[in-house]
Amino acid sequence: MSTLTKVLIVLLSVFSLFLCGVVVTYVANAENYKDLYDRQRRDIQTARNNQDDAENALAECKEAAEKTQQTLEQQISDMTINVSNLQAQLEDLKRQNDQLVQRVATSAATVTMTSETQKTVLEQAQAAQARVRDLEDEQTRLESDLKETNRLLLEKIAIIEDLQTKNKQLAQANQELETGVNQYLQQRGQVAAVPRPVTPTPGIALPATPPTRQIDLNGRIVRVDNQLAEISIGSAAGVRPNMTFHVTRGAQFICNLEILDGGVDTDSAVGVLKLVQGTEPRPGDTVKTNL
Amino acid sequence: MSAMSQSRGTKVAVPSNLYTAVLAVAFAVVLATASFVAFMCFTRYETIFGMP
Repeated sequence: MSTLTKVLIVLLSVFSLFLCGVVVTYVANAENYKDLYDRQRRDIQTARNNQDDAENALAECKEAAEKTQQTLEQQISDMTINVSNLQAQLEDLKRQNDQLVQRVATSAATVTMTSETQKTVLEQAQAAQARVRDLEDEQTRLESDLKETNRLLLEKIAIIEDLQTKNKQLAQANQELETGVNQYLQQRGQVAAVPRPVTPTPGIALPATPPTRQIDLNGRIVRVDNQLAEISIGSAAGVRPNMTFHVTRGAQFICNLEILDGGVDTDSAVGVLKLVQGTEPRPGDTVKTNL
Repeated sequence: MSAMSQSRGTKVAVPSNLYTAVLAVAFAVVLATASFVAFMCFTRYETIFGMP
């Protein structure tokens, strides 16, 4: 056996051992690609199944979302209608609130005017009571004067009766004297003339009629409260307390208005309604002093 | 290369079985490696030469 053969045998053996070691090492450490392939294939199949499930779930979710959207759109339309109705109701309530506020303001003004009128009436009532007291005092004084006058009248009547008795006696005596004179004169063809008093008989003194003129005031009724009314003219136009106005509406007579004491202002006056004919006066009616 | 020829020409040498043993060992190793690779292929891919 040559040396070269020996060397080749040794080299062949060494490289065979080395190559076998490398191959064994590689095969022992190599991955199992079949298992890897199967695993990947299962994963892909699972992923496809998951994709199908996800697509089905997506379709169901889309359908549910569309239904929910339709339901929500219906609810939105209902809510819009409700909002419109509520806004209309809110407008109505605001209008009613404004009307109520206006009525409250009007009522407050009426209450204020009524309070002022009541105060005025109370003052007038107090003045009237004072006047009544004065009138009672004057009545008492007049009654005492009347009693004194009656007493004097009775005395005068008694004197008059005495004088009438004397007058009758004198008339009877005069008749007798006249009869006697006539009998005496008839014997001579004469008749006694009718006696005529030397002084004229005084008559009853009458007061002279004062010259008059028409006042002729015209105005309008501004406010009416129960039996009280306010007119649009006052002391500047010539209105005075206790003056009587005639209230008319067109050609229809409504009532009379008597101005109160203390109820006259510069450009307005307050009076009491009298002789109401059934139709109640109202603001705008005409008031005149002369029909 | 017999003993006769060696005795006629060159120096006669005792034949050595060392390289035969080395070749035997190498062959055994290669055979074991091939068997191992075939076993692993069949175990993993259920075939030796074909595609799984």
